[in-house]
Amino acid sequence: MSAAAQTFNGNLKKALAGIRRINLDGLRWRVFDAKGQVLGRLASQISTVVQGKDKPTYTPYKEEGDMCIIINAKDVCVTGRKMTDKFYRWHTGYIGHLKERSLKDQMAKDPTEVIRKAVLRMLPRNKLRDDRDRKLRIFADSEHPFGDKALEPYVMPERQVREMRPRARRAMLRAQKKAEQQELGTTNTRKGKKRDEVEAEITA
Amino acid sequence: MTRIKRGYIARRRRTKIRLFASSFRGAHSRLTRTITQQKIRALVSAHRDRDKQKRNFRRLWITRINAVIRETGVSYSYSKLIHDLYKRELLLNRKILAQIAISNKNCLYMISNEIRKKVDSKEYTGII
Repeated sequence: MSAAAQTFNGNLKKALAGIRRINLDGLRWRVFDAKGQVLGRLASQISTVVQGKDKPTYTPYKEEGDMCIIINAKDVCVTGRKMTDKFYRWHTGYIGHLKERSLKDQMAKDPTEVIRKAVLRMLPRNKLRDDRDRKLRIFADSEHPFGDKALEPYVMPERQVREMRPRARRAMLRAQKKAEQQELGTTNTRKGKKRDEVEAEITA
Repeated sequence: MTRIKRGYIARRRRTKIRLFASSFRGAHSRLTRTITQQKIRALVSAHRDRDKQKRNFRRLWITRINAVIRETGVSYSYSKLIHDLYKRELLLNRKILAQIAISNKNCLYMISNEIRKKVDSKEYTGII
């Protein structure tokens, strides 16, 4: 435990906070890799696991969800323009003090909060919510101090990825072509006839 | 008319009610007027919740069956299981299925695999 703790550069105290309060017998430690996952879909699966709703012994008044470790929180994706357009808003209580922060800024500040908020807002608002929050351990990169526990990776169910919209597709193809041309070394900024001449010169 | 004291009639009635509420918390088991009110509320809750109990347990069984069935992988779910059960006219109810799910998961998987198999020419055993 100490060896793993030393390689873990993050906040060890924060990672181990409140572990004593959870009754850990019989709970599995599931690892979620957030890299490349869509935020909401991942949070939905996490919330099911944390509530213990994938077990046949689910009881609504007892808290028996598994411990969830989420790694690579900074690589979680969102679709559309949510990176710049999704705002987290909160009111401080003083008149006129509605504060907001965009996803981009939140990721820069603390990427674990993004996933934590997403999961917390998907859990039912009852007395067990705080205990379930304690079972979530989220880490921005792929290191965590729980290496000595029996970790089980969670396989996300397959997802139907919608095919790209035409405009986005064209933009992507253009970006690809540009990247290829840059690799080849020749960046032909001239358009039209002059470009063909230049290419003819090169091939000749 | 002669004077009649009420005597112990009211007290006898109230001790019965007090016995009912003897395990309640705080003033609800000590003060007479509160005791009568709390007894009424308790009985009303019990009456209403006897009907809700049936609903709640069915919900619980459904959640448990769903939890186990989704582990079969692919995109199998409780709804599809029930559809298959009805299609094959298997009369297991949710209570029994939930109990099977807890005690013997593999048995449930066997049942679900069996009912998922496509039956080509099924003999007509339905209700005429």
